[in-house]
Amino acid sequence: MLEILIFGAVTGAIYAMLAVGFTLIFGVARILNLAHGSFYALGAYGAYALTSVFHLPLWLAAILTVAGVALFGVAVERIFIRPMRASQLAVLMITLAVALVVEQMLFLVFGSEYRNVPAFIDTKFTIGGVDVAGQRVLAFIVSGLAIGGLYLFIQTTRLGSAILAISQDPEAAQYMGIPSDRIFSVVMALSAALAALAGIMAGPFLSVNPSMHLLPIVKAFAIVVVGGLGSIPGSILAAFMLGYAETLVAYLGSSSWTEIVSVLATLLMLVLRPAGIFGRRAAF
Amino acid sequence: MNTPRYRNIDRAGAIIALAILAVLPLVFTGRYLVGVLTVAAIYGIWAVSWDFMSGLTGRENFGHSLFIGVGAYTAGFMNTAWGFGPWWSLPAAMLVAVIFALIMGFPTLRLRGPYFALAMLSGAVIMQRLMLIFWEYTGGEEGIQGIDPLLASPLYFYWLVLAVLAATTLLLVSLARSDWGLILKAIRGDEATCLAAGINITFYKIASLAISAAFAGLGGALYAHYQLQVSPQLFAVVTSITIITMVYVGGMGSVYGAVGGALLLSLMTELLRDFGEWRLMIYSLVLIAILFFLPNGLVAPIWQRLRTRLARDPGPPAASAPQEAKRAIDNAVAGKGEAV
Amino acid sequence: MTLLSVKDLDKHFGGLHAVKHVSIEVARGEVVGILGPNGAGKTTLYNLLTGFIPADSGEILFNGHALRGVRPHRIVGMGIARTFQLCRPFVGMSVLENVRVGSLGPRVPAGDLDARARGLLGDVGLAGKEDVPSERLSYGDQRRLEIARALATEPELLLLDEPFAGLGSGEIDELSVLIRRLHQDKGLTILLIEHKLREFMKLVSRIIAIDFGEVIATGTPAEIVANPRVIEAYIGRQEVGHAA
Repeated sequence: MLEILIFGAVTGAIYAMLAVGFTLIFGVARILNLAHGSFYALGAYGAYALTSVFHLPLWLAAILTVAGVALFGVAVERIFIRPMRASQLAVLMITLAVALVVEQMLFLVFGSEYRNVPAFIDTKFTIGGVDVAGQRVLAFIVSGLAIGGLYLFIQTTRLGSAILAISQDPEAAQYMGIPSDRIFSVVMALSAALAALAGIMAGPFLSVNPSMHLLPIVKAFAIVVVGGLGSIPGSILAAFMLGYAETLVAYLGSSSWTEIVSVLATLLMLVLRPAGIFGRRAAF
Repeated sequence: MNTPRYRNIDRAGAIIALAILAVLPLVFTGRYLVGVLTVAAIYGIWAVSWDFMSGLTGRENFGHSLFIGVGAYTAGFMNTAWGFGPWWSLPAAMLVAVIFALIMGFPTLRLRGPYFALAMLSGAVIMQRLMLIFWEYTGGEEGIQGIDPLLASPLYFYWLVLAVLAATTLLLVSLARSDWGLILKAIRGDEATCLAAGINITFYKIASLAISAAFAGLGGALYAHYQLQVSPQLFAVVTSITIITMVYVGGMGSVYGAVGGALLLSLMTELLRDFGEWRLMIYSLVLIAILFFLPNGLVAPIWQRLRTRLARDPGPPAASAPQEAKRAIDNAVAGKGEAV
Repeated sequence: MTLLSVKDLDKHFGGLHAVKHVSIEVARGEVVGILGPNGAGKTTLYNLLTGFIPADSGEILFNGHALRGVRPHRIVGMGIARTFQLCRPFVGMSVLENVRVGSLGPRVPAGDLDARARGLLGDVGLAGKEDVPSERLSYGDQRRLEIARALATEPELLLLDEPFAGLGSGEIDELSVLIRRLHQDKGLTILLIEHKLREFMKLVSRIIAIDFGEVIATGTPAEIVANPRVIEAYIGRQEVGHAA
């Protein structure tokens, strides 16, 4: 029982980082970014490469990777997304194309085999009698810090207020002189950074391969649908719900079924309550 | 404008194209070309079926590979595990694909464009995982092997596929040009207004998805009987994106353009064969380029311009410019008529 | 002969009580006006009548058939057509195609749909513009197209939502003539929401005044204009710039 509580929390925490980034860019710019999974994958591979190949210490590898992926996110936004902003579908197509290109590049550089990313913390903790790998504890802590940091940033800084304003009413925000385009880049960077962080934390217990960007997108979408498009609290709540649901399914049934949970959750939510739990804006 | 004259030109064009495609492998013999053309034709079926629903309603379906895969796997199961003769696969694949379309369509078609696209994508991704998860039944990564071919001769099979492509295109283009197509385009415009005009939009959305799925599944079954095996790769996102790219090249919403797009891109893929691993990347880059530079596609706009030129021909053939010039020069040399 | 009978219709949007126990009767062949300030619930009422929004409670009877819970396209098939406040032509389609889309319902008589559509376009004054892309029409013409498309469904009852909005005075006169013709020549029963009082009063035989979601008065135009509750609610709070 305690095992489920702990492992579900860790999974939920990682999903939360993934989903919050996804919902953030949607809430602000109204785009569904299919390259989001690529940020996750690049995070995992980046940390792997920097630690295994260049033997950098974890903290340095993580910072460099997050910064690099954030910059990449900004580049994607500027070069590929911005010209297509008029059509949501065009944005979808182009971000998917970018995701495929990234997948291909990862494949060409690293090959298609699953690679094991060594854990960053080897010590095992014992919480309430349950053995928990240090990596999982680290993931939980990092996620909490990251999301907490994001919350503080949005609540206390001017940039954060601007972001809130745009997500509530983009036109009014523009009339107030808020530079939407610059904000989009910032939000994209934040979104990519969070996804990369999720990938860095998840890498050691998920093992990386070039196609790893797809499932996270499916799950992020599921989480965002359940939690409510554009709602950050909703995404966090739904992320933990999904994390716990998957952990439960893995314990009660078999781990193979976990992925079906997300798609079932999505479809069910779409049928019953398309706006999601906290969504103001329905998907239709 | 689709005047009778344009229809005649369309028909002539289609017949000529079909004839060329049919005759090509007789001119350039060898298994290689027949194989390439067969796959290209199957992609044509997939592309046409996609354009019919997504191109007309504007609801881009990012999970078309789902219908392709279930059609192919149906063929695989029926032919191997359940011992049916290969021809039974075709209607069975269509039926199963339609069932999946109904299951996926009801909850997702009420969604706006991008969400529908993602929901269908999720469906395809999950289906791919399911094929791997239940490997005891589905053969896992290896999939199902040992499927029977429909016809012994690759050439005859190619002609069969070509016939199916022609029939599918004919049917879907006719539907697209009929009131059905008008309704789908209206749905793309404004659903509330459609409802106010008395249109049952739910029916038309789901029905067009089902039709799209049926032919995708049919193509999937044909593919299974061509490759003689099926694997979870069929459900891959890449397949869906390839098809969408083909339709973009052909001209979204034209339906017939999709065939041209499929042929062009298949040709390009073959020419890039030597690039092996880089192929997919080049494909994605092509897609990006098209989205930036050719949003209206290539095939349909070119055909429409060509058709206008051909249609402007009044009746008795006007003399061509070179002929006119020659006559003027002859007259001038002979000392009569206008100055050149 | 009562064509439309609404009893105790009620609708909440969260905390907002948008339509409060509204009861209305419309007899066949009437032209009834619906008057009320912005936000009074007039368009919400239309949305409830035509099935775009589900009512919380109450009864709607059209020709004896219950309308509550019936989906919008089926209501059209029963003989009620509506226009929208903001014109929405089908983008990418010609004027004729727009009308043709409306001609595919069950009430439409069999025959040449295009010929019938052309006839309707002539009736509303759009003859000669059949092949124009609908989004290129002037606003007044788009309004006519809306009406033609509604007429194409062969309705018995026509719900017009602020048909004069956004039109200049000349266009308003022409549209009034058209509406009167639709009533007299085609025998349509018409419900009309409008702000522009002068034209409104001339077209309708009876007015239902609505404020804050409830019916506050019904009567002839003369009675309504003299009604103190109406004066206080509507004209007293009239926005600057509206023609009286």
